[in-house]
Amino acid sequence: MNPVLSVWNLIATYVFLPTDLIIQWVSDFFNTTMDILLHLPQYAMEFLTVNAKPILQITILPGLAWVIVYAIIAVWFERKFLARAMLRVGPYYCGGKAGWLQLIADFMKLFFKEIIIPRDVNWLFFLAMPVLLPSVPALAVILIPFDTHWVLWDVGGIGLPIFFAIAGIAPLIPIFTGWASKNKYTFIGAWRVAYMYISAEIPMVICGAAVAIMTGSFNLVEIVKAQQNMWFFVPQFIGFVVFFLGVFIQSERTPFDIPGAETEIVLGWRTEYSGVLYGFVMFTEYVMLQAWALLFLTLYMGGYNGPVLFGAATASHIFWMVLKFVTLVTLVILCRCVFPRLRMDQMLKLGWYYLTPLAILNLIVTLALKLMGVF
Amino acid sequence: MSEPEIVPDIMRISWGPQHPMSGQTRILLDLDGEKVHRIIADLGFTHRGIEKILENRTFLQGIVPIERMVMADTPNIGICYIKAIEEAMGVEVPERANWIRSLVCEMARINSHLYAFGLQAESTGYFPAVFLWTTVDRAWILQLFAELTGARWSLNFFLPGGVYKDLPEGFENKVIEGVHYLRRRFQKYWDAMVENYTFEMRCDDVAILKPEDAIRLGATGPVLRGSRVAIDVRKDEPYAAYRDLDFEVITEDACDSMARTKVRFREIVQSLNMMEQIAKEIPDGPVRTRVPFFARPKAGEYLSRVETARGELGVHLFTDGGMNPYRVKINSPTLRNMYVFERLAELDEILMADIPVVINSIDPWYLDSDR
Repeated sequence: MNPVLSVWNLIATYVFLPTDLIIQWVSDFFNTTMDILLHLPQYAMEFLTVNAKPILQITILPGLAWVIVYAIIAVWFERKFLARAMLRVGPYYCGGKAGWLQLIADFMKLFFKEIIIPRDVNWLFFLAMPVLLPSVPALAVILIPFDTHWVLWDVGGIGLPIFFAIAGIAPLIPIFTGWASKNKYTFIGAWRVAYMYISAEIPMVICGAAVAIMTGSFNLVEIVKAQQNMWFFVPQFIGFVVFFLGVFIQSERTPFDIPGAETEIVLGWRTEYSGVLYGFVMFTEYVMLQAWALLFLTLYMGGYNGPVLFGAATASHIFWMVLKFVTLVTLVILCRCVFPRLRMDQMLKLGWYYLTPLAILNLIVTLALKLMGVF
Repeated sequence: MSEPEIVPDIMRISWGPQHPMSGQTRILLDLDGEKVHRIIADLGFTHRGIEKILENRTFLQGIVPIERMVMADTPNIGICYIKAIEEAMGVEVPERANWIRSLVCEMARINSHLYAFGLQAESTGYFPAVFLWTTVDRAWILQLFAELTGARWSLNFFLPGGVYKDLPEGFENKVIEGVHYLRRRFQKYWDAMVENYTFEMRCDDVAILKPEDAIRLGATGPVLRGSRVAIDVRKDEPYAAYRDLDFEVITEDACDSMARTKVRFREIVQSLNMMEQIAKEIPDGPVRTRVPFFARPKAGEYLSRVETARGELGVHLFTDGGMNPYRVKINSPTLRNMYVFERLAELDEILMADIPVVINSIDPWYLDSDR
């Protein structure tokens, strides 16, 4: 064999063959991409039709948009509504009419403000906790059924215990922040949180247990279904009252806004936050209120039950849930300008002397009625 | 101020001046958990040297700076200094001027007490609804002030020898109209806010000050009368037209923060009655005796005291025969009551959460105590 030729073959093998392969790969890639691009609408439609409900749920209803839009509207509504009670006008100029852009403006202001980190704080906890804060109650919100088939995270028969478990984490975060801020006011506020949540959470869990006994299920959908004929605030009236007060306590609303008592301890465990971190912290209050208010509606106010409108069952169920929720939140907000704040010892007395025994009484009555076969 | 020593196991917290409720002062609290172990009031943040300023002004000019001591209550402060000057100069005040003085003083008292009640409500955690309601009602009084004197807050209406101007046409009817309006409003306040169950929970049995302690510590004004001691300069040593006016000295038996709040509230009703009486029975006559601008009173010491909204105010005036006072010593009610406030933690168990309630039941005006 001609040595020159064999060298040529060698070169051809190592130079031209890979070129062929590369051309093949490129053309394959091009073909596939073009295929995807050309059929993109078709594929997207297919994906959306298969996963339509989860996507809607995650992005809109119990998910991101609902939580954020609710908080923004609630803050605006609270300012406007309380201003009326105080013979004021409230937000007025921003946005042209009724100050509807005020909250966006405030959010932008908070977002671009400097975040001041005090010297000697535990900066990891100080920075991480506000981001964690709203996610805990938001996680609890996704357990709530807005319709028989409209539950984002359907855990089946353990919905109620999971809710209490998630919500039970929430008070830990203010305690960490209060500790990490290295300030006496935040420290006092943190321990007030600890005392307050414990004294409220125990009666609330007992009330939840009574509802579960009555229904025979921990499944939140089952609990709502059991209220089709009669909402549970009638047979469980004591539990209803206890849980209603519990909603105020857990979301730190006015008669019980003790951990953030402005006239006593500045802003409690939130004192040191500024800028967007403060925004997160304020946002959390509303998400917390939402989580507990939705559970309250689910347990006692018939959840999504209500007359079906225009033959659209799911839509009308969601409508009734939202309507009840808005009514409850309005009531909670109204209390802010009606009541002064309780003192810590009075609050603890209320929790341990009244709410807990009442909740246990409620549980005993429910058990007795259940054993007698009334339910 | 040197920092007092800290006892072991006690947390010291600096309540103010950077605090939403503290006002222009710093209060050091030694806390044992929520319980207040000791209160140390650190006054003097707003010292303006009013006593020294008065030495560099003629007697007439001095009325303007001294009224700045308590902005909510300017005529009551001014009349005290003017009384001392009148005594020094030997000026007689016409009868009608005395009645107008009483009218303006009582209006200012209502203004000040309403402001105090707004703050008291806010300190218990009412979202500022009550404060704004009282502000709206105070606007009615300020409007009358503006019509009478041309100013809403700092009036400078009284002069040695009388008042600046006579009442405008139809002013008496407006006063009576306003009195009727405010009476209706006070019934509303009393039912909705003073006798509110939660408000009572916060204020009842908080910081009890027994009558003997109140006298021993030198409390004054509504703080003293809230402790069942009926002392009121308007009754004991009548000035202006108070000798001819019908009113009673309000006292409360409970001796707690609620009692002090209620005393203020019931005093407003007394003031309204007095205003109505003045508007109906005011005598005719001149309102001013002319006093030379550069008057030189005889050398001597003159003491005058009046009942302001916060308590007894004393002015001790020294003159040396010159155009200016030689020395003016002011004994202000807030300073006296702040001494009482400092001792309250020893007299009764106070919690951290009670501090804003207690301090607003004292109704301090720090510009007054610092002068």
